[in-house]
Amino acid sequence: MAKARCGRILGEDIYIEEGDTTTLYFINQLRVYQVVLAALKALDQDICHDGCSLPSTVNKVIKRLGKLKSVLEASDVAAEKKKNLLSKIDDFLADADGLPQDTSQTCRKTAGECKIGSGCFATGALNLFKEITEPEAPKKI
Amino acid sequence: MEIEQIENRYRGISIVLGALQAASRGICKNCIGLEGAKTKVGKMIKKLGMDLDAASISCEKTKADLQSRIDSLSKAAEELEVAEECECQKTAKNCKMGEGCFVNAAVDLMKLVK
Repeated sequence: MAKARCGRILGEDIYIEEGDTTTLYFINQLRVYQVVLAALKALDQDICHDGCSLPSTVNKVIKRLGKLKSVLEASDVAAEKKKNLLSKIDDFLADADGLPQDTSQTCRKTAGECKIGSGCFATGALNLFKEITEPEAPKKI
Repeated sequence: MEIEQIENRYRGISIVLGALQAASRGICKNCIGLEGAKTKVGKMIKKLGMDLDAASISCEKTKADLQSRIDSLSKAAEELEVAEECECQKTAKNCKMGEGCFVNAAVDLMKLVK
Protein backbone atom coordinates (compact mmCIF):
# COMPACT_ATOMS: atom_id res chain seq x y z
CA MET A 1 0.00 0.00 0.00
CA ALA A 2 1.25 3.51 -0.82
CA LYS A 3 2.75 5.53 2.00
CA ALA A 4 2.13 9.22 2.39
CA ARG A 5 3.94 11.82 4.48
CA CYS A 6 1.54 13.43 6.91
CA GLY A 7 3.73 15.15 9.45
CA ARG A 8 7.17 16.11 10.62
CA ILE A 9 7.45 15.77 14.37
CA LEU A 10 10.56 16.51 16.39
CA GLY A 11 12.65 16.51 13.25
CA GLU A 12 11.35 13.24 11.83
CA ASP A 13 9.15 12.87 8.76
CA ILE A 14 6.22 10.62 9.57
CA TYR A 15 4.59 8.45 6.93
CA ILE A 16 1.40 6.44 7.08
CA GLU A 17 -0.31 4.03 4.75
CA GLU A 18 -3.11 5.64 2.77
CA GLY A 19 -6.38 5.34 4.67
CA ASP A 20 -4.82 4.63 8.07
CA THR A 21 -6.92 7.19 9.89
CA THR A 22 -6.20 5.81 13.35
CA THR A 23 -2.48 6.51 13.06
CA LEU A 24 -3.23 9.82 11.33
CA TYR A 25 -5.33 10.86 14.33
CA PHE A 26 -2.36 10.44 16.68
CA ILE A 27 0.06 12.14 14.29
CA ASN A 28 -2.21 15.17 13.95
CA GLN A 29 -2.44 15.37 17.73
CA LEU A 30 1.35 15.34 17.99
CA ARG A 31 1.62 18.00 15.30
CA VAL A 32 -0.50 20.37 17.34
CA TYR A 33 1.31 19.59 20.62
CA GLN A 34 4.54 20.62 18.91
CA VAL A 35 3.06 24.06 18.16
CA VAL A 36 1.15 24.51 21.44
CA LEU A 37 4.18 23.63 23.56
CA ALA A 38 6.33 26.09 21.63
CA ALA A 39 3.75 28.81 22.27
CA LEU A 40 3.68 27.91 25.97
CA LYS A 41 7.48 28.04 26.11
CA ALA A 42 7.32 31.55 24.64
CA LEU A 43 4.73 32.46 27.29
CA ASP A 44 7.05 31.17 29.96
CA GLN A 45 9.50 33.91 28.92
CA ASP A 46 6.73 36.47 29.36
CA ILE A 47 5.01 37.80 32.49
CA CYS A 48 2.69 34.79 32.16
CA HIS A 49 5.51 32.89 33.89
CA ASP A 50 4.30 34.40 37.17
CA GLY A 51 0.57 34.07 36.50
CA CYS A 52 -1.96 31.28 36.94
CA SER A 53 -3.29 30.76 33.40
CA LEU A 54 -0.02 29.41 32.02
CA PRO A 55 0.33 26.77 34.78
CA SER A 56 -3.33 25.88 34.41
CA THR A 57 -2.86 25.43 30.66
CA VAL A 58 0.32 23.42 31.18
CA ASN A 59 -1.53 21.11 33.58
CA LYS A 60 -4.28 20.61 31.01
CA VAL A 61 -1.71 19.82 28.32
CA ILE A 62 0.04 17.28 30.59
CA LYS A 63 -3.29 15.65 31.38
CA ARG A 64 -4.25 15.49 27.69
CA LEU A 65 -0.86 14.09 26.76
CA GLY A 66 -1.21 11.41 29.42
CA LYS A 67 -4.62 10.48 28.06
CA LEU A 68 -3.33 10.45 24.49
CA LYS A 69 -0.52 8.15 25.59
CA SER A 70 -2.81 5.62 27.23
CA VAL A 71 -5.20 5.65 24.29
CA LEU A 72 -2.32 5.17 21.86
CA GLU A 73 -1.00 2.30 23.98
CA ALA A 74 -4.39 0.59 23.78
CA SER A 75 -4.85 1.29 20.07
CA ASP A 76 -4.27 -1.02 17.12
CA VAL A 77 -1.56 1.23 15.64
CA ALA A 78 1.28 -0.94 14.26
CA ALA A 79 3.79 -1.83 16.99
CA GLU A 80 6.85 -0.07 15.55
CA LYS A 81 4.89 3.08 14.74
CA LYS A 82 3.27 2.99 18.16
CA LYS A 83 6.66 2.78 19.89
CA ASN A 84 7.92 5.72 17.83
CA LEU A 85 4.89 7.88 18.58
CA LEU A 86 4.93 6.96 22.28
CA SER A 87 8.53 8.13 22.55
CA LYS A 88 7.53 11.46 21.03
CA ILE A 89 4.72 11.80 23.57
CA ASP A 90 7.30 11.16 26.31
CA ASP A 91 9.49 13.92 24.84
CA PHE A 92 6.54 16.32 24.86
CA LEU A 93 5.66 15.32 28.42
CA ALA A 94 9.24 16.06 29.49
CA ASP A 95 9.02 19.44 27.75
CA ALA A 96 5.70 20.26 29.42
CA ASP A 97 7.04 19.14 32.77
CA GLY A 98 9.68 21.88 32.55
CA LEU A 99 6.98 24.57 32.38
CA PRO A 100 5.26 26.24 35.38
CA GLN A 101 2.52 24.16 37.01
CA ASP A 102 1.80 26.10 40.21
CA THR A 103 -1.71 27.51 39.78
CA SER A 104 -1.67 29.31 43.14
CA GLN A 105 0.00 32.37 41.59
CA THR A 106 -2.03 35.48 40.88
CA CYS A 107 -3.45 36.11 37.41
CA ARG A 108 -1.33 38.84 35.81
CA LYS A 109 -4.50 40.78 34.91
CA THR A 110 -5.56 40.80 38.56
CA ALA A 111 -2.01 41.83 39.47
CA GLY A 112 -2.39 44.78 37.08
CA GLU A 113 0.49 43.70 34.84
CA CYS A 114 -1.31 42.11 31.88
CA LYS A 115 -3.20 44.81 29.99
CA ILE A 116 -4.04 43.19 26.67
CA GLY A 117 -7.81 43.32 27.25
CA SER A 118 -10.07 40.44 28.12
CA GLY A 119 -8.14 37.86 26.07
CA CYS A 120 -5.53 35.49 27.40
CA PHE A 121 -2.53 34.20 25.45
CA ALA A 122 -2.37 30.91 27.39
CA THR A 123 -6.02 30.13 26.65
CA GLY A 124 -5.47 31.22 23.06
CA ALA A 125 -2.57 28.80 22.72
CA LEU A 126 -4.73 25.99 24.06
CA ASN A 127 -7.38 26.81 21.48
CA LEU A 128 -4.94 25.79 18.75
CA PHE A 129 -6.14 22.23 19.45
CA LYS A 130 -9.47 23.20 17.89
CA GLU A 131 -7.79 23.56 14.51
CA ILE A 132 -7.74 19.79 14.13
CA THR A 133 -11.09 18.49 13.00
CA GLU A 134 -10.07 15.41 11.00
CA PRO A 135 -9.91 12.52 11.28
CA GLU A 136 -12.32 11.88 14.10
CA ALA A 137 -10.94 10.16 17.16
CA PRO A 138 -10.93 6.38 16.76
CA LYS A 139 -14.12 4.79 18.07
CA LYS A 140 -12.36 3.23 21.06
CA ILE A 141 -11.32 6.64 22.40
CA MET B 1 -0.79 54.39 26.96
CA GLU B 2 1.36 54.30 23.81
CA ILE B 3 4.13 52.34 25.46
CA GLU B 4 1.59 49.93 26.96
CA GLN B 5 0.14 49.21 23.55
CA ILE B 6 3.58 48.68 22.07
CA GLU B 7 4.50 46.33 24.93
CA ASN B 8 1.28 44.37 24.42
CA ARG B 9 1.93 43.94 20.72
CA TYR B 10 5.51 42.95 21.46
CA ARG B 11 4.23 40.25 23.84
CA GLY B 12 1.77 38.95 21.24
CA ILE B 13 4.32 38.80 18.43
CA SER B 14 6.80 36.93 20.68
CA ILE B 15 4.22 34.21 21.26
CA VAL B 16 3.15 34.06 17.62
CA LEU B 17 6.79 33.68 16.62
CA GLY B 18 7.31 30.85 19.11
CA ALA B 19 4.41 28.96 17.57
CA LEU B 20 5.54 29.69 14.01
CA GLN B 21 9.06 28.48 14.78
CA ALA B 22 7.58 25.15 15.87
CA ALA B 23 5.38 25.04 12.77
CA SER B 24 8.46 25.63 10.61
CA ARG B 25 9.98 22.47 12.08
CA GLY B 26 6.93 20.55 10.83
CA ILE B 27 5.54 20.06 7.34
CA CYS B 28 4.39 23.70 7.46
CA LYS B 29 7.97 24.57 6.45
CA ASN B 30 6.93 23.75 2.88
CA CYS B 31 3.60 25.55 3.11
CA ILE B 32 2.48 28.82 1.58
CA GLY B 33 0.58 29.38 4.83
CA LEU B 34 3.83 29.75 6.73
CA GLU B 35 5.37 31.81 3.94
CA GLY B 36 2.45 34.24 4.21
CA ALA B 37 2.58 34.27 7.99
CA LYS B 38 6.27 35.11 7.89
CA THR B 39 5.52 38.12 5.68
CA LYS B 40 2.63 39.21 7.91
CA VAL B 41 4.66 38.97 11.10
CA GLY B 42 7.56 40.79 9.45
CA LYS B 43 5.18 43.65 8.61
CA MET B 44 3.77 43.66 12.16
CA ILE B 45 7.28 44.00 13.57
CA LYS B 46 8.19 46.74 11.12
CA LYS B 47 5.04 48.65 12.07
CA LEU B 48 5.81 48.13 15.74
CA GLY B 49 9.27 49.65 15.24
CA MET B 50 7.79 52.61 13.37
CA ASP B 51 5.18 53.18 16.08
CA LEU B 52 7.90 53.08 18.69
CA ASP B 53 9.89 55.65 16.73
CA ALA B 54 6.87 57.93 16.60
CA ALA B 55 5.89 57.39 20.23
CA SER B 56 6.42 60.11 22.75
CA ILE B 57 8.46 58.21 25.29
CA SER B 58 10.44 60.54 27.47
CA CYS B 59 12.80 57.94 28.90
CA GLU B 60 15.47 57.23 26.28
CA LYS B 61 16.58 54.07 28.04
CA THR B 62 13.05 52.60 27.95
CA LYS B 63 12.79 53.40 24.27
CA ALA B 64 16.20 51.93 23.47
CA ASP B 65 15.40 48.78 25.43
CA LEU B 66 12.14 48.29 23.53
CA GLN B 67 13.88 48.96 20.23
CA SER B 68 16.48 46.35 21.04
CA ARG B 69 13.79 43.79 21.88
CA ILE B 70 11.92 44.60 18.66
CA ASP B 71 15.17 44.13 16.73
CA SER B 72 15.47 40.66 18.27
CA LEU B 73 11.94 39.85 17.13
CA SER B 74 12.79 41.05 13.65
CA LYS B 75 15.85 38.79 13.53
CA ALA B 76 13.81 35.80 14.76
CA ALA B 77 11.16 36.46 12.11
CA GLU B 78 13.77 36.69 9.37
CA GLU B 79 15.25 33.40 10.52
CA LEU B 80 11.94 31.54 10.31
CA GLU B 81 12.70 28.61 8.04
CA VAL B 82 10.48 28.41 4.99
CA ALA B 83 11.23 26.24 1.96
CA GLU B 84 12.17 28.02 -1.25
CA GLU B 85 9.28 26.47 -3.12
CA CYS B 86 6.11 26.30 -1.06
CA GLU B 87 2.76 24.77 -1.73
CA CYS B 88 -0.26 24.54 0.57
CA GLN B 89 0.31 21.26 2.36
CA LYS B 90 -3.41 20.49 2.25
CA THR B 91 -3.32 20.77 -1.54
CA ALA B 92 -0.19 18.61 -1.54
CA LYS B 93 -2.21 16.12 0.55
CA ASN B 94 0.35 16.08 3.34
CA CYS B 95 -1.71 18.08 5.84
CA LYS B 96 -4.85 16.13 6.68
CA MET B 97 -6.23 17.83 9.76
CA GLY B 98 -9.39 19.30 8.25
CA GLU B 99 -10.13 22.93 7.42
CA GLY B 100 -8.03 24.43 10.20
CA CYS B 101 -4.48 25.73 9.97
CA PHE B 102 -2.00 26.02 12.84
CA VAL B 103 -0.14 28.86 11.19
CA ASN B 104 -3.17 31.07 10.59
CA ALA B 105 -4.46 30.33 14.08
CA ALA B 106 -1.07 31.24 15.55
CA VAL B 107 -1.07 34.60 13.73
CA ASP B 108 -4.63 35.16 14.97
CA LEU B 109 -3.33 35.10 18.56
CA MET B 110 -2.51 38.77 17.86
CA LYS B 111 -6.26 39.45 17.87
CA LEU B 112 -6.17 38.89 21.63
CA VAL B 113 -4.32 42.18 21.97
CA LYS B 114 -6.96 44.90 22.18
